[in-house]
Amino acid sequence: MQIKNSKISIKSYLNLLELLNEYRGTHEENRLFALKHEALLQNPKKMLLAWMQKNEFRKTQTLESLSILQKLSILGNFIGLFSLIFGFIAGFGLLSYSGHAPVNVIYYLLFAMFIPLLSMLVSMVSLLSSGTVFNALSLFFPLHWIETVLNFFSFRDKVDVVNTLFSDELKKWMFMSRLQLFSLLFSVGLLFALLVIVISKDIAFSWSTTLNVSNMGFFKLLACIGFPWGHTLPSAIPSVELIEMSHYYRLGENLNTQMIQNADKLGAWWKYLAMVTLFYAIFLRFLLWLATRYGYQEQLEKDFLELDGVQKLLREFNTPFVSTESPKEEKHLEIVKESDEQVSHAVAKVYETIIGWNFSNDEILLVNDAKGISSSNISTVGGNNSFAEDQKVAKEARAEVILYVKSWEPPTMDFIDFLEELLANDNVEEIQVYPLGTVGRNYESDEREVAIWKRKIQGLKSKKVWVIDV
Amino acid sequence: MYSSKESLNNDYPKFAVVGHPNKGKSSIVSSLALDDSVQIGDTPGTTQVKRGFPLKVDGKIIYELFDTPGFQRARRVLSWLNDQEPVSADKKGDVVRAFIAAHRDDERFIDEIELLEPIMNGAGIIYVVDASKPYGSEYETEMEILRWCGQPSMAILNLIGEENYTEQWKSALGHYFRMVRTFNPIKATFREHIELLDSMSQLKEEWTKPIKVAIKVLEDLQQQKIEQTVDSIVSNMVKTLSYIHRQKIVGESATTDEEEKLKHSYREKIIKFEKEQEQNIESIWNHRSIEKVENMLVLDNVGLFSKESASIFGLSQQQLIITGASAGAMGGLGIDLLLGGGSLFLGSIIGGAVGGVGAMMGFDNLYEVKVLGQSIGKRELTVGPMQNLNFPYILLGRSLYHSSVIAKRSHAMRDNIDLEQEEFLTEQIIDSDMRKTLEKVHVSLRKGDEPKEEDLKAYKKVLKESFLGLL
Repeated sequence: MQIKNSKISIKSYLNLLELLNEYRGTHEENRLFALKHEALLQNPKKMLLAWMQKNEFRKTQTLESLSILQKLSILGNFIGLFSLIFGFIAGFGLLSYSGHAPVNVIYYLLFAMFIPLLSMLVSMVSLLSSGTVFNALSLFFPLHWIETVLNFFSFRDKVDVVNTLFSDELKKWMFMSRLQLFSLLFSVGLLFALLVIVISKDIAFSWSTTLNVSNMGFFKLLACIGFPWGHTLPSAIPSVELIEMSHYYRLGENLNTQMIQNADKLGAWWKYLAMVTLFYAIFLRFLLWLATRYGYQEQLEKDFLELDGVQKLLREFNTPFVSTESPKEEKHLEIVKESDEQVSHAVAKVYETIIGWNFSNDEILLVNDAKGISSSNISTVGGNNSFAEDQKVAKEARAEVILYVKSWEPPTMDFIDFLEELLANDNVEEIQVYPLGTVGRNYESDEREVAIWKRKIQGLKSKKVWVIDV
Repeated sequence: MYSSKESLNNDYPKFAVVGHPNKGKSSIVSSLALDDSVQIGDTPGTTQVKRGFPLKVDGKIIYELFDTPGFQRARRVLSWLNDQEPVSADKKGDVVRAFIAAHRDDERFIDEIELLEPIMNGAGIIYVVDASKPYGSEYETEMEILRWCGQPSMAILNLIGEENYTEQWKSALGHYFRMVRTFNPIKATFREHIELLDSMSQLKEEWTKPIKVAIKVLEDLQQQKIEQTVDSIVSNMVKTLSYIHRQKIVGESATTDEEEKLKHSYREKIIKFEKEQEQNIESIWNHRSIEKVENMLVLDNVGLFSKESASIFGLSQQQLIITGASAGAMGGLGIDLLLGGGSLFLGSIIGGAVGGVGAMMGFDNLYEVKVLGQSIGKRELTVGPMQNLNFPYILLGRSLYHSSVIAKRSHAMRDNIDLEQEEFLTEQIIDSDMRKTLEKVHVSLRKGDEPKEEDLKAYKKVLKESFLGLL
């Protein structure tokens, strides 16, 4: 699998988001994938893209968000074209020259420099702000209102769906990037209009203001504005002479004779205006557009890595998979219902035979004393006894037998073997298995321990053997 | 899933956990294997066949534990072994192998073969006894059989009940085992778990290195689990506290019914977030079979802000006022900074006072329902982000408490967790300095802003510290 470019696009962002909604893989699968693509471990974005590519087939839902986004992109192109045309029309409007009143360069400068600079400044402040401040500032942008109006069309709900997929920060960068692009296109339209008019019409420029600005003062201001290109293109800076020539007074004649005489010279303004548009409205806007594109891409990549599930995936790629599970399934035991079958709630005082399983003789005597039980025939079995000794005890047992067992030691098959030998003795009429607790607890046995003994004895299905539960 | 190499490389330490029935063998395996899928029961014979629990790192087995059935006919086995021609000590293992070969199809010795087989295949012996019950000479038969196997061995004293016969057991086991350790799988901490592994590594020289590797792996894993737990808590806090629930409404203003419905859905969503987070924590710590007896997180004035809930997980009124004051002061500080401190920090003082009073007033106000919309657009009713000052601490307290119980819980434990019986005070684990750090993030979330990265980092640090304090 080759991932040449690790640049994240909005498409890959949405693809991963939708894939993660449906499939995230197990730690084992993801670690195995990472081990197979060890070279990509240092580049999480590439690794994620490769993982996405490998698992893309798992997606069962169609990418509605992508198709909506495509439609929005077409809409964006339309707005872009509209901005370009609007800029061109606005340029035509600004530069319309009827042959009576000359075109005031200050109007043009307002649109080609002051408004773009102000808009760029607000854009930058917006970029640095967030939340309410950003929302408030965005009200100043026409794009905000265009998008708001568009939101009331039928596809509003769909736009809402797409909006929920992006973080506010990413939406901010998207908006600002679009804003810069559309403004750029507007300015290109404006410049285009200037060039078309200059070529196709004989246009007279002048400058006029109510403020008391001297020709020299105005020259200095214009020279200052034209500083970026003043050295390389001096002809695109209006001379003091030109400024004097084109100073226009509202209260005078429409055009004074001097201006008419120098009409060919008045047109020299266009170079300056073109450069102002090119530098302030286009070049600086282009730089800001590049910066917002960069910011948008950075934010997109940041959000890509912050998508729900991505951090877990990355952790699983980088963390050795440790497992301790058994590959073998365990057969679960059937739970036997508790019953009172073959359970005796009383202990007799005298038994024909007393046998202690894993008890010593002394221990049996102590139990007898504590419980007030007696017998003339006391034997020990189990423990270190040999099988022959146990068999002898089983054969010699008579009538009613009480069999002491340690309640905490569950019945083993060794015990069952002995019990079966005892049951096989016809002289034995009844066997009472008595589970006893520890000496420390005065032979009191635990309910749960006795239950184990009961279940085991009941499982033998013999009517001759009982469990004492007192 | 990885490669079949693991089956070729069989040269890793193996340990067979053996003993009398019902002495906690499966509990020990479950605890050491960090796996709560092991069936543990009080009925002898719960473990019917041996089950291997390999510790695998990226598919490579580091060591393997075997859970085995208990001895059932130990006396018969020993009797058979003794009946064979006498052999020197180095050949005794062969006699055990001969026993396995001779009785493989003998139903009477299914359990013994299941437990002896891994030992004769090279597994070390971990003999488990219940030291809360007295020693009996019948155990000597089992220990004698294990001695015949000639494998490295150790004994574990597992205190299942309340009585203690440790000394009695120690003097008996000392005759058969080089190493005797006490380990309670139900109560064992992570450190005790590692210490036991360390003891196991000393059974055989060749095993020391791989077990040390395993210890390192488990320690790293523990650290990762802690990090993941803290991340999970923080992400749930951010998600819950910033959550805004929206609902479209038809009329000019919301009806009471619409408002109630919205509040209900909001509550449900927050409960769902908490449940998801809890499940995430349980899966991080490999506890998949937990059933909890826990009250639901009821987000209304009676449940969540009842005296009990607030006193256990939330802050006291006094702490709340102090926290509210510091949160308010943070807002006020913004004014001071804007004025370059020219306000003589009056902004902070006034902000603090307003915040403090707000905290008192806001104690019962969980919701702030807003109607949003424009005249030509559809109207929306929204609730959130969470405005209550105490709620973050209640949620955080609950998360920390739940996570610490899960993290400490032994995989051998099968009882339900009764959260209601535990004692826990958020105030005890989060002091006022910590609260200041936490509050920075809470304030941002309350305002609907994204918290700053450095604030979130500090938030995580504080939570990690608190979480470690609970472990």
